[in-house]
Amino acid sequence: MVLVENNQLQASDSWHSINEEAPKVTDQSIISLAYWLENKVELANHKGKLGLSVMGDDELSQFSNELNSFELICINFPTFTDGRGYSLATSIRAAGYKNGLRAVGDILPDQVFYLSRVGFDAFEVADTVAAEFTLNKLKEFSVVSQPASDDRAVINQSG
Amino acid sequence: MYQYNEFDQTQIDERVAQFREQTNRFLAGALTEEQFRPLRLMNGLYFQTHAPMLRVNIPYGLLSSKQLRMLAHISRKYDKDYAHFTTRQNIQYNWPELAQVPDILADLATVQMHAIQSSGNCIRNITSDPLAGIQADEVEDPRPYCEIIRQWSTLHPEFSYLPRKFKFAVSGSPKDRAATEVHDIGIHMARNSAGELGFEVLVGGGLGRTPMIGQVINSFVDEKDILSYVEAILRVYNRFGRRDNKYKARIKILVKATGIEKFKEQVETEWHTIKDGPLKLNQERIDHVKELFIKQPYLVDKEPCSNSLALEQALETNEQFKAWFKQNTLAHKQTNYRIVYLSLKSPNRPPGDITDQQMDAVADLADELNAGEIRTTHDQNLIFADIHQNDLYYLWQQLQEIDLATANIGTLTDMICCPGIDFCSLANASSIDISQNITQRFKDSTTELGDIRLKMSGCMNGCGHHSIGEIGILGVDKKGEQWYQFTLGGSDSEASKLGQRLGPAIAKENVTKTVEDILDIYTENKQNSETFAETCHRIGIDSFKERVYGSR
Repeated sequence: MVLVENNQLQASDSWHSINEEAPKVTDQSIISLAYWLENKVELANHKGKLGLSVMGDDELSQFSNELNSFELICINFPTFTDGRGYSLATSIRAAGYKNGLRAVGDILPDQVFYLSRVGFDAFEVADTVAAEFTLNKLKEFSVVSQPASDDRAVINQSG
Repeated sequence: MYQYNEFDQTQIDERVAQFREQTNRFLAGALTEEQFRPLRLMNGLYFQTHAPMLRVNIPYGLLSSKQLRMLAHISRKYDKDYAHFTTRQNIQYNWPELAQVPDILADLATVQMHAIQSSGNCIRNITSDPLAGIQADEVEDPRPYCEIIRQWSTLHPEFSYLPRKFKFAVSGSPKDRAATEVHDIGIHMARNSAGELGFEVLVGGGLGRTPMIGQVINSFVDEKDILSYVEAILRVYNRFGRRDNKYKARIKILVKATGIEKFKEQVETEWHTIKDGPLKLNQERIDHVKELFIKQPYLVDKEPCSNSLALEQALETNEQFKAWFKQNTLAHKQTNYRIVYLSLKSPNRPPGDITDQQMDAVADLADELNAGEIRTTHDQNLIFADIHQNDLYYLWQQLQEIDLATANIGTLTDMICCPGIDFCSLANASSIDISQNITQRFKDSTTELGDIRLKMSGCMNGCGHHSIGEIGILGVDKKGEQWYQFTLGGSDSEASKLGQRLGPAIAKENVTKTVEDILDIYTENKQNSETFAETCHRIGIDSFKERVYGSR
């Protein structure tokens, strides 16, 4: 996997997911929503940065009160046609979350322009070729016609 | 009409470049069919039985003569010299080559046309009342609001991978001429008790496999809040709509399963968080868009041109003209003007089809008599909205020359029909040949039979709106054979109503005979000037059943 973040190809990813081989939560660990819900109390005292991994159909209300305790939120796309993650991202941004928002799973470079508009600033893609392509695709449109979670200026087409 | 500015133009040009690149990648094998599918659908491109099918948007059914000439040009250059108007006011090409589609889109972009979101699981073309702005019964012209919704929905980043397709219709008149009650969101312009302008919003209507009538979710949303309100509906749908079964993925299923009260609560909770945000419209913007739809002043008095006759004289001297005037023109809110239907239901072509030559000729006539404007209707006809009565005789002669003056608007042979199995890979049965048989049988008696809405689809996806036809015909597959399921008593005007099933499906060779039986029952039972729908409602479906099935 190659990471495109803040409009740049990243040489490496400083975040890691916890799993059976590395079960201990350390600095810059990404934990699942289930894990976080189970260990919320202990994790409140965790010193390092925490990342949260959610699915597009997870309920925001489960973690909306603690949003800014995360330095990274990853939204997983089970298939590229499942658009729930777009609305979840919009709602996460609308709730005031300012840190990293990463799209992971089945995403196409063809989707990153829209993904960036709903609030994602990072994308996990297959390889460096896909990453280069992703960077181009982020610039695909120079005008937008509705407000979203990004800072692109809406030009009122009608005047 | 709305004129695209440099920003709209840039947006559609960039869209063409995007699709060209995607098509090239697909043709080079770098995108799989599964990956390409939603991308091409969002550009109106289906892979069909013989060739791809390209659907081009006509926002709320409004076309300029320049655009219509381009549509004619495209049919000549890339297709087989004709095109087909759809029940959502759009136009389709049935024979383009995939590799040429980016060029077609580039040609369309030169006249500010495109296929953005004309298919796929996203927000489709916004449809409206084809008589918007010209009827006295209107609360307000809905088209400026259609345009505002169009802009908001175009390339919407959040709502392009919805559970299923999503259709809007907006009507400004209490008479529903846009089938708003069978749309995912139907919007009726309304005024509250203080006289302020706003919208009644309906949700969860739809045709297809599980036809349903939309329910009122809010009886008055202020005009400035319409975008935030529909965005809230879309967000709830995108989050909770079913994705496990495409036949249960439309918003109507969600609304029904959730219950309208609970659904409204979900929507309005979301709405209150965004209502006063950047989606709020300001009066200046609304007024600016409205100005674009204001007609030039009408000339009350206009002498007939040298090839025309004053209306009264023409009506007295020409019976054929009189019949056409009665059937194909309507009263206009402006004195001395008429609304003219151009019938695309001639016996010589499939319903809704138009040739390149007809398109060019219509564009010329629009320039000459109708300020260069053409409207498309969900009944698959065209309209000239503002014809001075003294131009009618001349126009009628011209329309006759191009076979667009069949005097049958609103009657049996003005039927709605999808392309059916001859073109569509979803269809179970043919519809064009059936429509032609019915037309041949009834073309001489159609006006005598009066107003009858016959709607036919080649499969239960229901593009031909059969569920709301006064006579509905649905093509079904029975062990590899094409059979036809009849329904009676549906309606799409004022209050929409779903038709009742007549009985078991009818074999193909008996379809015309069945229509004949149904109409016989009507003429035998009709009282005074009762229409088919009225008689049908009064006597009920059983007398029809008996006649149709009794003999078999």
